[in-house]
Amino acid sequence: MDDSVLTTLKILIIGESGVGKSSLLMRFVDNEFNADQAITIGVDFKCKKISLNGNTIKLAIWDTAGQERFRTLTPSYYRDAQGAILVYDVTKKESFTKLETWLNELETYSTKSNIVKMVVGNKIDMENREVSRDDGMKFARRHATLFIESSAKTTDGVQCAFEELVQKIIQTPGLWETQEETSKRAAFRASSDDDAQQSSYCCGGYF
Amino acid sequence: MEETLDEVVSLDDLQKFERAYNEQLFTDSVTKETQFNYAWCLVRSKYPADIRKGLILLEELFKRDQSEEGKRDYLYYLAVGNARIKDYAKALQFVRAFLHIEPGNSQVQNLETIVKKRMEREGLVGIAVASGFIIAIGAVLGLILAKR
Repeated sequence: MDDSVLTTLKILIIGESGVGKSSLLMRFVDNEFNADQAITIGVDFKCKKISLNGNTIKLAIWDTAGQERFRTLTPSYYRDAQGAILVYDVTKKESFTKLETWLNELETYSTKSNIVKMVVGNKIDMENREVSRDDGMKFARRHATLFIESSAKTTDGVQCAFEELVQKIIQTPGLWETQEETSKRAAFRASSDDDAQQSSYCCGGYF
Repeated sequence: MEETLDEVVSLDDLQKFERAYNEQLFTDSVTKETQFNYAWCLVRSKYPADIRKGLILLEELFKRDQSEEGKRDYLYYLAVGNARIKDYAKALQFVRAFLHIEPGNSQVQNLETIVKKRMEREGLVGIAVASGFIIAIGAVLGLILAKR
């Protein structure tokens, strides 16, 4: 389509209802925040182009409804996704324990076995925290996912969550490139060698 | 952004939810969930006939289910389905009905923007076709006059 775009990546956002999935996306795409964010119906979709190491990458982001009654429907959107953001609310322990279920869902329905996962603990601006940063990090480590804490309200960590996920996808061989794009990845590698340290790429995300 | 109107249901999903619906229909025990799941697949089909069937099922649900959260789902997909079969005026009616209840809903506001954009785009296409037709008539008339 557009020559200057390196590739288009399909990203999913999943997690319990009310943890702030749509708010994270709205902050990331439109840089807006609405305290009365409405409950998502089925699936919402947003697009954003980002620039990484001098390359433009288009993100097609599918924001799924967290409510139980959409649970049988939303997995059909998992197909072909290269990245998934699993969100929990740091002030609601249950949304954290349920992450296990969401990971299983991903395992069952995603068609790419090497899909990159990012666990995001949202709402760190609130005072009544029930899940410590340490617990979140341990969970992520145990399941070999990326991890970051965020606040869609204050913008903390939002940009990083998406950027680190994308960075990791691009670094994963065979996940996104067609044959023609393999050479592009080589070029991307060369241009990003200086600053692409795997463990901590921008502002404190972990793998 | 327009993926909302362009993405297509997989055949697997459509068949799976159709089977569930038909099984319940057979025993006359169709639940709201089963009907909604099937309708939700139908309105995302690439065939207008499927979409129309989905819209009928959604309208039925809208009358049958009095719950608020049910109603907003049905309104939303009634708008999506109508937009997909290019009945934009009707799609906008459902969008407005929804926004009357939830004025600040950005998901539905986005849908409204997409529908209006399509209306505009396809309206312009209509005009382009019409003007092409007029030019053609002019050319024919010109030929006839020149022959005289």
